[in-house]
Amino acid sequence: MNLDEVAELRRRLAEAEETLRAIRDGDVDALVVEQQNVSQVFDIGGGAEAYHVFMEAMHVGAAAIDGTGRILYANARLTSVLGFTQNSVQGSRFTDIAPEEVAAAVERIMPRAALGVASEEVGFDRLGEQVHYILTATPLRLSTTHGFAITFTDVSERVRAEAAEQSERAAHAVIASANEAVVVCDREGVITHANAAAELSFGGDLLGLPFADAIPLIFPDATGLLQAEDIVRMVVDGASVQGVEAHAPKAPKVKDYLVSAAPLQVGHDMINGCVITMVDLSQRKAAEKQQLLMMRELDHRVKNTLALVLSIASRTLHHEDTLEGFQQAFTGRIHALAATHSLLAENSWTNLTIGDVVRSELAPYTAGAAGRFTIQDLGKSLAPRAAIALGLVIHELATNATKYGSLSVPGGKLSVRGRAEEERFIVEWRESGGPPVTPPTHRGFGQTVITRSLQYTPSGGAEVDFAPEGLVCRISLPLEDLHE
Amino acid sequence: MNDTPQPRKLTLYVAGQTPKSIAAIANLKAIVAGPLAGQYEIEVIDLRQNPKLAKEHSIVAIPTLVRELPVPIRKVIGDLSDVEKVLVALKVQGE
Repeated sequence: MNLDEVAELRRRLAEAEETLRAIRDGDVDALVVEQQNVSQVFDIGGGAEAYHVFMEAMHVGAAAIDGTGRILYANARLTSVLGFTQNSVQGSRFTDIAPEEVAAAVERIMPRAALGVASEEVGFDRLGEQVHYILTATPLRLSTTHGFAITFTDVSERVRAEAAEQSERAAHAVIASANEAVVVCDREGVITHANAAAELSFGGDLLGLPFADAIPLIFPDATGLLQAEDIVRMVVDGASVQGVEAHAPKAPKVKDYLVSAAPLQVGHDMINGCVITMVDLSQRKAAEKQQLLMMRELDHRVKNTLALVLSIASRTLHHEDTLEGFQQAFTGRIHALAATHSLLAENSWTNLTIGDVVRSELAPYTAGAAGRFTIQDLGKSLAPRAAIALGLVIHELATNATKYGSLSVPGGKLSVRGRAEEERFIVEWRESGGPPVTPPTHRGFGQTVITRSLQYTPSGGAEVDFAPEGLVCRISLPLEDLHE
Repeated sequence: MNDTPQPRKLTLYVAGQTPKSIAAIANLKAIVAGPLAGQYEIEVIDLRQNPKLAKEHSIVAIPTLVRELPVPIRKVIGDLSDVEKVLVALKVQGE
């Protein structure tokens, strides 16, 4: 035996030993057996065919994978679920061929399945449609290989039904929570849903009633052409109605509504009915009326004010000799008017007190002169026309006092007090500590303003007493223009 | 002779779609495309289709990988999941 022959024998021996080791260690799963010079292949632990046939008979998607995650077999149902052909999957892993979510779920489930049965729900997009499966992995031994059986059970319908139920609940909640009256009608105009606001507005249970009977609406702007039942028909035909004003004469409380209606479409299907919302317009209508009233009132007041300004201008012109004198007197009177107007506007033309008017007109003179002024008992509220007149009177008195009276010298004082009398309310203006008073030689416009401004009614007016120790003016405010 | 650009042939004997056969095919493809890129081409022989071919390389256990050339002949038995073992077995002294 030469050396080559020895080497060949050694190689064969090593190969035989390696074959035995491989069989013993479970590295192989088929053997070639030669009987009577005919070779035959025998599977260790049964052939693959048997379990392939069994898997194809299953009603769920199924795959057998080895311990490393390699697909040994996947049934036709699973390959169609995941969208690949059967030939391409054997020997592959889920990460190579399956949607990302499925591959991740298989990765997660395998370590758990090694300890026993494990399952997990997975959702993924298949040709634009979201589908859901439950993956269940079970440990498996195929001949000498350890692996897993994985099944995919389709639960898309169940998930879709749950989602539909949830969205139905959400839709109910939305309708129920709306402040506006909302009713849903079927294609025949019969009410199928109505929220609490609708039942409250239209008195009682509306379900099952035809919309036009349950909620008889009149559309004043549509000149009788549009009826409640027309709205349902228009909407079911695919049109939508937006913001039509309607009147509900039979509703227990609210009479005016803004009505909108839109087709009800569930999914991509045909129109199943219509959704009608009715917004309560009563507050808006009331506000519109109030606004109209206020505009008329404003118009009236602007005209009055302009007439007053014209009168002040012509009378001031008549009594002043110089342009400078006119400018000073006229500007002062217009400012007095403006001050009262500002006060009135700030108080929305209501709730202005006598004291407010007096303080506002005296404001230019009181700064830094605390202690010279006494203002008492002027808490009554007065109407706008009395406020404007009183403002002008106080302005004239104050101008006069700063020119000739108690406010023209350092020690002079002024008190303004209120006193109720029969049929009238007196505001007494009393100056003291000023220069000796002498009655004027001619009657200026200032005096005309003082005496006449409040004479728009018999109980109103003012009289001036030029007492030597200080001017006194008693202003009489008409009781009808006063309130507490 | 070593300069020949032709890839050498590796013959893999399998038995239909047994788990080890499937794994061996996939693992061998990965090795030939990776660590041994361009050096080998693969021939897969399914002994279930044609059992007589087992005689040529005296195949007993399946799967088995055979490298005929260069001599001496080398065999690797199993699913080839141990890449190191495959590379060592295919390594030729002096290469």
